[in-house]
Amino acid sequence: MTEAVFQETTAQPRTQSVPLSHLSLELGHLYMEDFEAGPERLREHFAEVRIWVDAARAAAARRTGGRRPRISTCFLIDDYFTRFSTPAELVPVVLAEAERAGLVIDYLARESGCAVADKIEPAESVMHRLVESPPPGSYGSRPPVSETGWLPNGQRTPTSRSAMGEVTGWQPPQETAARNHSVFMDVELWSEKDGQRLWSCPFLAAVWQLARLGLLRHLGAPVLAPRPWNGGDFPHDWDLLPPLLQLNASAAPFSAYRTCTLMPNRFLAVEDAVRLILDQVDVDSGALRQVAERSAREGAAVPAAVAQRATYVFYEEPTDAVLHGET
Amino acid sequence: MAATGRTAPAVLVCGETRTCLLPSFQALDGRAAAQLLRLRADEQVSVSERPNLYALSPELLTGVDCRLPTANGAKVRAVGTVASRAALTEGRVLQASAWFSVPSAGPDTRRPWGHYLVRPGLVEPFGKLPEQATAQGVLRGSSRGELDLGMIAEGLLAQLLRHPLLDHKAPFKSRRTHLRWVARRAPAGEGASLERFTLAEDGLRTVELSLPEETPATAAVGLCEDLALHDWLLTTLVHMLDNSRLGAVDGPSAVLALRPAVDHLLHLWMPQAHVERTLGRLWDVLEREPGFTRQWQTLVQRIRDQLAVQAIPLLHEALSTR
Repeated sequence: MTEAVFQETTAQPRTQSVPLSHLSLELGHLYMEDFEAGPERLREHFAEVRIWVDAARAAAARRTGGRRPRISTCFLIDDYFTRFSTPAELVPVVLAEAERAGLVIDYLARESGCAVADKIEPAESVMHRLVESPPPGSYGSRPPVSETGWLPNGQRTPTSRSAMGEVTGWQPPQETAARNHSVFMDVELWSEKDGQRLWSCPFLAAVWQLARLGLLRHLGAPVLAPRPWNGGDFPHDWDLLPPLLQLNASAAPFSAYRTCTLMPNRFLAVEDAVRLILDQVDVDSGALRQVAERSAREGAAVPAAVAQRATYVFYEEPTDAVLHGET
Repeated sequence: MAATGRTAPAVLVCGETRTCLLPSFQALDGRAAAQLLRLRADEQVSVSERPNLYALSPELLTGVDCRLPTANGAKVRAVGTVASRAALTEGRVLQASAWFSVPSAGPDTRRPWGHYLVRPGLVEPFGKLPEQATAQGVLRGSSRGELDLGMIAEGLLAQLLRHPLLDHKAPFKSRRTHLRWVARRAPAGEGASLERFTLAEDGLRTVELSLPEETPATAAVGLCEDLALHDWLLTTLVHMLDNSRLGAVDGPSAVLALRPAVDHLLHLWMPQAHVERTLGRLWDVLEREPGFTRQWQTLVQRIRDQLAVQAIPLLHEALSTR
């Protein structure tokens, strides 16, 4: 067909593409309690992580058929739920401990960047993109997730009173994709206090996964674009640190076809919740198409379902005994 | 169609469009229209200024797992997503549409939800699709518990009507119309055609189309929205003329009753303004019979004549009091 002579730019929204690696490897996620445990905890963490990093690199290389895969590493610091220390104090310690284990952190991110980054609210946008998996019998009634703030993987236990007001017996909840038996899960996406919305850890982590998978856009433009670090001192206020900082100038692109996240096994429930969320997000179709096309062209086609692109290694957390044994 | 993977191509597309006057004293300009239709914070509203002001929202999805409406009572469970969107023409006429495509057959078990999410607007039947019965069932309307396009379109419309931009001071009274439509796949080698347009009671219209396989579902949606818009304009203008009781009431009150048509409606008639080129000619059949544009022009002429007639005594009066 011939192209139309007359065109209007505002009538044809465009989706900008982002550079993509093969793998985005997360080397850790730092909470206040980790920091309070001292640099030994970090040292122990990176020593453990190092083993799995090598495994993840090998797995990525196998996928690219022997060609050298583009892999970028990242590290996330929680400045959303609790504010502790300052970038000037903390970041050099993290970088030093990573280096000691032979690891390079390419990108450093702040967790609050998943809530608000450069005046854009990625979490709010993702919330609008939730399309609930319909339990059997759903014929088009409005999904209540935006009202309740909870997202389940099935049908909740019905309230124990019938329409007539009489108390009925307990009925079990039901997982929609259950095989014989249910593993029912209900995830709190946010809470409200004094009119302020506090996003939950799994929800922000889901936004973080989408950013790493190159699937976030705002009016067609990329969200959480990395900003280069000039090599100078880190600021004394978290708000002055860019939401996503590129520490290594020669790093592979931040976003990737797949993600691998290395974390202590206490995060298993959180990440299971992240998958539940990712399974019910209607991702920007332009971004989704770009990633699918480019990964296929490189012979590393991504799974169609977004949640399948994220893998994890859950390792045993170093205990205090181990830490004390070392020191 | 966008669906990829191991899903058979769609053989049927079904939709419903609801059309109403925007309950706002002033028509919205392009910026306000984009604000109203910003259903997602991160996605652009498409705004077109030629040949008329036309704003189109991003598409939303609603998950469904229920029976399809069937005319013969066959029970067919289907799972997938129904797409919906809203359009505003000249900042005056608001439309909400919901639609889904169906392949001829699907697997006998429900797949992981991620499978359906990457096929927006596709609903897969369990087993074989009774195509004819489903098409007829959709046109007839759903029974309780069956996939309800009207409910999804109405839900979107209700959401938009709660927007703080709207003052709920409509310049005149009008009724909503709803247009249900189905598009079957045309036999190989045959072009698109409009098989039937039925004007039913209570503002219900039904349209049956036959479209080549490569026609995107959204092209069919665009055509049906265009048909619904112009049918609504005709319906509304006819009502307005009926209510003005031309000839029965005195001049000034007839003029008063017809004034909103001049202010808000007469410039809206523009068939095919935003219909894909390949489907634009489907209008031809309606122009021949019953002749949509012919009726519109007659109505417009009647209003203009009436206003001219009413102006004569005023002119006379003005001249005589000099």
